Amino acid sequence: MAIAEQPVEMAQRPAEMKSAKPGIDWRGRALDRAPFLVACLMLALIVAIYGSLQSGVFSLDELNLDTAAALTLMLAATGQTIVLVRGGIDLSIGGMISLGTVIAATRFTDDPSTVALWALAILALGFLIGALNGLLISLLKLQPFLVTLATWSILNGVAMIILPTDGGSVPGWWVSFGYAQLFGLTSPVWMLLALLLFWWWFRATRVGITIQATGSNEKSAFLSGVSITGVNVITYGLSGLFAAGAALFLTTQTGAGSPTIGKDYILPSVAAAVIGGVSLFGGRGHLAGTLIGAFVLTLIGNLVFVLHVSSYWQPVASGVILLLSVLASSVAEKAARGRVQ
Amino acid sequence: MDLVTVKGLSKRYGGIVALSEATFSARAGEVHALLGENGAGKSTFIQILSGAVRHDGGSILVDGQDYRPANPDAAQARGIAAVFQELSLIPDLSVEQNIWFRHEPRTLLRTVNRAEMRRKTLALLDKYNFPALRPDQELRRLTLAERQIVEIAKGLAKDPRILILDEATSALPAREAEWLLKLTRQLAAEGRLVIFISHRMAEVRAIADRLTIFRNGSTIAVHEANAVSDNEIVTQMIGRHLDRLYPERVATATDRIALSVKNFSSGSRLSGVDFALREGEVLGVGGLQGHGQRELFQALFGASKASGTIELWGKPVSIGNPRQALTGKDGIALVPEDRRGQGLLLTKSVRENLTLSVIKRFTENGLLSRQKEAALVKEMVDFLRIKAGTPEQLAGTLSGGNQQKVIFGKMLLTQARVLLLYDPTRGVDVGTKGEIFQLMRDLAARGYAILFHSSDMPELVHVADRVLVMRNGGVAATLEGDRISEAGILRAAMLESEAA
Ligand SMILES: Nc1ncnc2c1ncn2[C@@H]1O[C@H](COP(=O)(O)OP(=O)(O)OP(=O)(O)O)[C@@H](O)[C@H]1O
Ligand SMILES: [Mg+2]
Repeated sequence: MAIAEQPVEMAQRPAEMKSAKPGIDWRGRALDRAPFLVACLMLALIVAIYGSLQSGVFSLDELNLDTAAALTLMLAATGQTIVLVRGGIDLSIGGMISLGTVIAATRFTDDPSTVALWALAILALGFLIGALNGLLISLLKLQPFLVTLATWSILNGVAMIILPTDGGSVPGWWVSFGYAQLFGLTSPVWMLLALLLFWWWFRATRVGITIQATGSNEKSAFLSGVSITGVNVITYGLSGLFAAGAALFLTTQTGAGSPTIGKDYILPSVAAAVIGGVSLFGGRGHLAGTLIGAFVLTLIGNLVFVLHVSSYWQPVASGVILLLSVLASSVAEKAARGRVQ
Repeated sequence: MDLVTVKGLSKRYGGIVALSEATFSARAGEVHALLGENGAGKSTFIQILSGAVRHDGGSILVDGQDYRPANPDAAQARGIAAVFQELSLIPDLSVEQNIWFRHEPRTLLRTVNRAEMRRKTLALLDKYNFPALRPDQELRRLTLAERQIVEIAKGLAKDPRILILDEATSALPAREAEWLLKLTRQLAAEGRLVIFISHRMAEVRAIADRLTIFRNGSTIAVHEANAVSDNEIVTQMIGRHLDRLYPERVATATDRIALSVKNFSSGSRLSGVDFALREGEVLGVGGLQGHGQRELFQALFGASKASGTIELWGKPVSIGNPRQALTGKDGIALVPEDRRGQGLLLTKSVRENLTLSVIKRFTENGLLSRQKEAALVKEMVDFLRIKAGTPEQLAGTLSGGNQQKVIFGKMLLTQARVLLLYDPTRGVDVGTKGEIFQLMRDLAARGYAILFHSSDMPELVHVADRVLVMRNGGVAATLEGDRISEAGILRAAMLESEAA
């Protein structure tokens, strides 16, 4: 072909573009992590105050206790973090947690194989209901807020039908699961570490990156070949799965089921993530921050207790902390934007 | 045999016909230019080819086989990759993560193999002599030009047989644009087909083997590049004869200073800039890209922090946040570089985009006058020939050039008389370019003062009364009269930096 025979000049590298200076942009990185650092600072401050008011705060026992108190929230908030990074929100976890505890409290028997079967069934149900959320959001093109609000209400109703009031029971050996020790650390602490390990792995997989990318810019993700429906199904499915996990863990703490307990985790799961620097607009945030946020929210409760003030101060303090975190991240965001247009 | 053959391709968006019975064919080893005015259907065509959009009717053959991609993955599987006009990049991922997005090399644990990814990135950038990029930098920290380059790398990473470049040069500085043109030829010489879309005739002339012209969604003509004149092409594109691109330069500047800037600095990229812009004047800002032009416009508009003094119509103004202080007749208005990021609300209608910032003008006794608003919007849409189905069409669904026109209209409606135009003709078709230049001269004649930057040097040479040449964040020279020429600008821009 004539065209190919023309002499072709090889493209020469153009002169360096301006911003391509070598080295690492430390200030930019620090600004990116500012909300997370602020959360760490808050936690340190709260622990310090708590430690000065109460003896024995800096001990393994205290760590075991506090982690057990925080882990249900942490599990729920892990799912919520994945959804927030996707740029969505999942209110249905409240319904899923309630439903999970009532199924466990009415179906678990002393027989370990029955328990194992029902535990798996609860986890599977969590994933399926979440996946359904994702599917509805995509197919009906509805706001995640509305869809998950509706499923929350439905799941809540079903939980009420199964067990109208708090009650039922789980076997004693199941409860003792929540306190089992290994190398001085109880199972909740090990699960916390497992969560971090999961996140470290998940965030580096293609699925994890794709979820983040879709939250960062859905149109670009689509143009790059991402199936948005697929992403929604997996994201909300995982959220449902973690909510179911939270329900199972919760039963080791309460020993019973409750058709209303789930609502206590909906907003705190979002708050924990936001305190930890997860963006509500999607694309940015890490589980480590969320877990710190969950600790902050839990320890606020302890602090209110040792201060001997009315327990109604707990939500007030949580709200103030949430505001401070949001303020910190918006200041950091503005500073970052002032540097780069 | 032709690599791609398209027949009777049609696509509608509600009542808007984007493509009607378009035809196209191209062979391996050629650079095939696709030309047409704003809204002619070029981007729609390539979105269909690359699987982002599905067509309503017609047939596409690739390698003689039926081709109907369900999504961009399916297109990639057939060796087709696109560099999208609106870019397909993820702001929160790094440069290399963007380049290999969904095709990352993996470890045994199924996680991304970072070392391998870095190696592949450097190899890719090196193979095609890419301008320097930092692979680990987050995309949202990059300039528009750098993003464009990442998008090109992302397309090439797939080693496609057919590469589509949709206005890929429009956001690039001169040297990088030249690099891309050579790269395009090189890719064709390797036996690939490159479909090249651009509104810059000189570029098309430099590299295209053949060209297809679209108008109103249909194919008007196909030419061998060396057998057709510029004039014929332009006439076929816009459906009428264009007498001249650049308006006559009539001196309309008065002695009154509209905008005076002294010792103006911002960040590390802008230091000690002094100049005065007069009423009725079009003052060009040129020089090599990246020497402070962008920062100057951003800082003047108050979008970034700065120090120094600014006087507007003789009155000193606070430079902390001029954006709020400077609206209205004595104000300042900007056409920004990044229209999707800064200029437009993509999910709002054309009407809302035009009028949101000037809503007061349609308010009588606290009530909004819809009639008044509609009249002004219609006037602006007609005046700029914005191609939209209705004023209620969402800005995000307009063709690229028409989005630029909306931004221009929005700026005009603010009634500010000091205008900062940063590359106002980027992505705008030739016909409209001529109209925009004429409009700039008309506004100047009516006492507006215009600061004008263009990445296309001939535009500065033919439209500006004076040209400030920037170098290393300062003004290196001010050219006037006969000294305004491409050679003159380049000389002033480079002489000292080469000596240094
Ligand atoms: N999603 C959409 N919804 C409605 N109309 C659309 C949509 N996408 C494109 N259009 C319309 O289709 C027509 C063709 O647009 P297209 O983007 O293909 O033009 P183009 O030739 O690429 O123009 P430009 O040179 O300005 O980029 C335009 O009138 C545009 O408004
Ligand atoms: Mg286009």
